[in-house]
Amino acid sequence: MTSRRQLLKSAVLGGGATVVAATAMGSLGAEAAFGAAAPQVEPGTPDPDFAEGRIRSIKDNTLLVLGSNLVFRSIRVVDGTSLWKLGPVGFDQAKPGDGLYARGVRMPDGVLAAESVWLNIINIKGHITNITSEKIHLDHHGKEILCHVVPGRSVAIHSDAPASADLSLLRVGQHVQILGAWRPDTNEADIATVFSPH
Amino acid sequence: MARSKPTDPPVDLLGPVQGEVSWFCCGTAWGPCSTTGRGACGTCNSGSLQHAWPNTSDACWAITRPDVCGDSLSRRTCGFRHQTTSLCGGASVITSIADCGPQTDLFCGERSCCGATCASNRLIDLTPAAYSRIASLSTGLRPCEISTA
Repeated sequence: MTSRRQLLKSAVLGGGATVVAATAMGSLGAEAAFGAAAPQVEPGTPDPDFAEGRIRSIKDNTLLVLGSNLVFRSIRVVDGTSLWKLGPVGFDQAKPGDGLYARGVRMPDGVLAAESVWLNIINIKGHITNITSEKIHLDHHGKEILCHVVPGRSVAIHSDAPASADLSLLRVGQHVQILGAWRPDTNEADIATVFSPH
Repeated sequence: MARSKPTDPPVDLLGPVQGEVSWFCCGTAWGPCSTTGRGACGTCNSGSLQHAWPNTSDACWAITRPDVCGDSLSRRTCGFRHQTTSLCGGASVITSIADCGPQTDLFCGERSCCGATCASNRLIDLTPAAYSRIASLSTGLRPCEISTA
């Protein structure tokens, strides 16, 4: 069976973004794909198949990313690459200035052939200092993050209950985890999911 | 908030322990993560295979208090290795301790599931590099099994 990693490699070595069909990439299933045949990396050390940073420029299907360690990485997006920006999005939603995390396969020339790219994703914990139907003010390590409710997208998960678009059960003072998309160069974010322990 | 009597001895000494896993950023970073620093061990980096553990020191334990949720966990210090296995897809990753966390007591009784497979209480946080080896970052929280590696 051809692994997801082999497909990614062949996509890049084949020289095109159209080599790998999305159906083929999706054949492993979303959860099973993670960790599939990934090479062992020494615990505690940087993972060569992972990248983070902010997009400096975009050319064709390649993102030039300046890592927070001030090292540039090129990230190649192919047809099977999944992109997330508050939800699944197309490549056209990637913009210079976006922060990102990416996982894929590091090619011999240092390019990361991307399996997944998460744009502006944040996953922060804190307590709610104020809440309205449109916004949650979150105290995160003493800094306020203004989190916007996005109609039709934002949901709350109260422990193991199903995700609900009704955020009215959340209360001031409550500790929560907010998964969302940062608005670049601000202290604001759009909410994908609020995890509440009760 | 569900609170129960802590186990004695620490449950992770007896074998793998099940709980919730999430992810956190550390080290030089962008966005709200840019001020988080390098963690309690001074080595934490979002791009490395590392994790936060609730019992790295007395001071750490006083903050995280998993015992309040009924989970006694062993003292493990910087660099100690754990293996975290997703109960959703079975993927696993081995990481080393780089920070104190998560703050288990603030989420006491929380339970996350994959179908009928569930686990309660936040016992470990992985860096984005580590979490994305076993699940999509967009899932945010997953049930898992933790063992020594």
